[in-house]
Amino acid sequence: MAASVLLSITGATRRFRTPEGGSVHALDAVDLDVRGNEFLTLLGPSGCGKTTLLKAIAGFEDLDAGDIRLDGASLRDVPAHRRPFNTVFQSYALFPHLSVADNVGYGLDVARVPRAERDRRVAEALARVGLEAMGRRAPRQLSGGQQQRVALARALVNRPRLLLLDEPLSALDRHLRQAMQGELKALQHDVGITFLVVTHDQEEALAMSDRIAVMHAGRVRQLGTPAEIYDTPVDRFVAGFVGASNLVRGTWRSTAHGGGCVTTPAGIDIHAEGVASIANGATVDALLRPEQLSPIADGAGAAGPTLAATVASTVFVGPDVHLHAHLADGTPLQALLRHARGQALPFAVGARVVLAYRPAAVHVIAAQAT
Amino acid sequence: MSVAAHARWRRRALLAPAGLLLAAAFVGPLLLVASFSVLEPGLYGGVEWHWYPYNFGRVLGAPLGDVEEFDAAYATTLARSVKLALLVTLVSVAVCYPAAWWVSRLPPRRRALALFVVTLPFFANLIVRVYAWMLILRPTGVLNLVLAALGAGDAATDLMYTEAAVVIGLVYVLLPFMFLPLYASIEKLDPALLAASRDLGATPAQTFVRVALPLTLPGIVGGAAIVFIPALGNFVVPSLLGGSKVMLAGNLIEQQFLAARNWPFGAALAMLLLAFVLVVMLAAAWRRGTRGAVA
Repeated sequence: MAASVLLSITGATRRFRTPEGGSVHALDAVDLDVRGNEFLTLLGPSGCGKTTLLKAIAGFEDLDAGDIRLDGASLRDVPAHRRPFNTVFQSYALFPHLSVADNVGYGLDVARVPRAERDRRVAEALARVGLEAMGRRAPRQLSGGQQQRVALARALVNRPRLLLLDEPLSALDRHLRQAMQGELKALQHDVGITFLVVTHDQEEALAMSDRIAVMHAGRVRQLGTPAEIYDTPVDRFVAGFVGASNLVRGTWRSTAHGGGCVTTPAGIDIHAEGVASIANGATVDALLRPEQLSPIADGAGAAGPTLAATVASTVFVGPDVHLHAHLADGTPLQALLRHARGQALPFAVGARVVLAYRPAAVHVIAAQAT
Repeated sequence: MSVAAHARWRRRALLAPAGLLLAAAFVGPLLLVASFSVLEPGLYGGVEWHWYPYNFGRVLGAPLGDVEEFDAAYATTLARSVKLALLVTLVSVAVCYPAAWWVSRLPPRRRALALFVVTLPFFANLIVRVYAWMLILRPTGVLNLVLAALGAGDAATDLMYTEAAVVIGLVYVLLPFMFLPLYASIEKLDPALLAASRDLGATPAQTFVRVALPLTLPGIVGGAAIVFIPALGNFVVPSLLGGSKVMLAGNLIEQQFLAARNWPFGAALAMLLLAFVLVVMLAAAWRRGTRGAVA
């Protein structure tokens, strides 16, 4: 992956007036570098500013402060139609009065690309998304998934520097969505164009991205690879938004070499390793992902540290069983069990269970004011 | 009775009041006028009930001796009516399109207010509103007073009894009929499509020509039809604002029925006008039909 910076966003700020006369920050001094040829996802709940940022990049939204630079040159005075970016809209926004081929050729037509080249590139783009036979259809004659491919082809045919995708998979059903995640990723790799995707779906973000920027309340809270975001979230918000998480609040007591222990007010200890730069006695959150907790029925044979809990409920979801339990002080915990075919669950509701974990799998977050 | 048959009967019942009204108040009189157009005018008004094609001959050029003379003035009057009706239609589109666009982008509550304002003229009598225009356009009228007050007294003109006055009056009277269908089609235009066009590199002008215009064309065609047709046949506005100097088809027909008491000739003129409108409408519908099949 080329690490060169393609798009540089600095101090991007956008305020909106509320009906009550106040103002809210849709974007609050966002700094973000988009690299060449990467798959970057803006992930966050609705209202976090990710769509506003996408629109600002596309040129459909002004910034109150800050700047967006392409190859170092400010885009401030460049109108949307002169920016070398293309967007796949959430609703696809296919032109209903044009055939599929004319939709795809639209950008080339307004750029006055010669007919022969235009037709060749349209055919190429349609073939790339597997719709070579659909050129003469009207958009409304296609399924949702096919319409999305047309929207992709229509954008990519212009060879943009940056492809912006606004919730590209939200209108598809679950099966199609999962198939398209892989296809989008493969397509990005194929065409070598930077993809900037906006989504609220953390699974989607984890599955497709080279990097994820998690946004909340108009700010980028964390930027990193999917594994970094998942394993070492910087705060409770990121930990809670990306993946299922058990967050247990306590006081940090460090021992040697980054090791230590989070003690809850009720005196329950959670051991951790590889924790750097957290002051002794600080209030922290220990993050334990459900799959890092191994439920053991009788407590025997656990090599490392364990937590004693009581089973509250079990939910069978197919490949896994979600085990909901709580600690002696009532803190709820979720653990994951692999489902073994034909084997009855060994955990009855109300039964005692021992949850084993590796201290290295515990992530400790300094509890800042959030 | 089966469900389908039941539904069929219910549809018929729903259609019956409008169908009966149209048959009694539109189809019947229309057939009467059509038959009058090929009857001989009675000596003191009324008709003689025998075949008489020369009413059309007076306009189209097949006279009967010196009784029914061919006069090119009739065709000229019809042509002038078509020209002015086209002009009225064009001016109405040009005035209404930007306004309808603006209204369709207002917040919903102000949009409802704007639509109410557009229909406001319907609350006042047509004749009164046209007389108001006489007060504006006459030599000592509001228009010239304003021009004089602005120091442009030299530009003062007498617009009364000119084609310009008739066009202004017709545009004013028919404006809401253009506005409403235009608004309906512009309001349905998805802003995301305009954004998509810009995003793909089209300038605002290209976006308008390639996306907005084709997608709002049904509104333009609909508005043009319901402005052009009444403009072609209107006789109140031309007779008040055009007087005897601007004779249009509507006035000519009115004269034949009332002043000249030549019902068959009036009926023939009316049928010619109707035939012209039908041909234009069918051509437009046919074009739309063939193009729709491609899309």
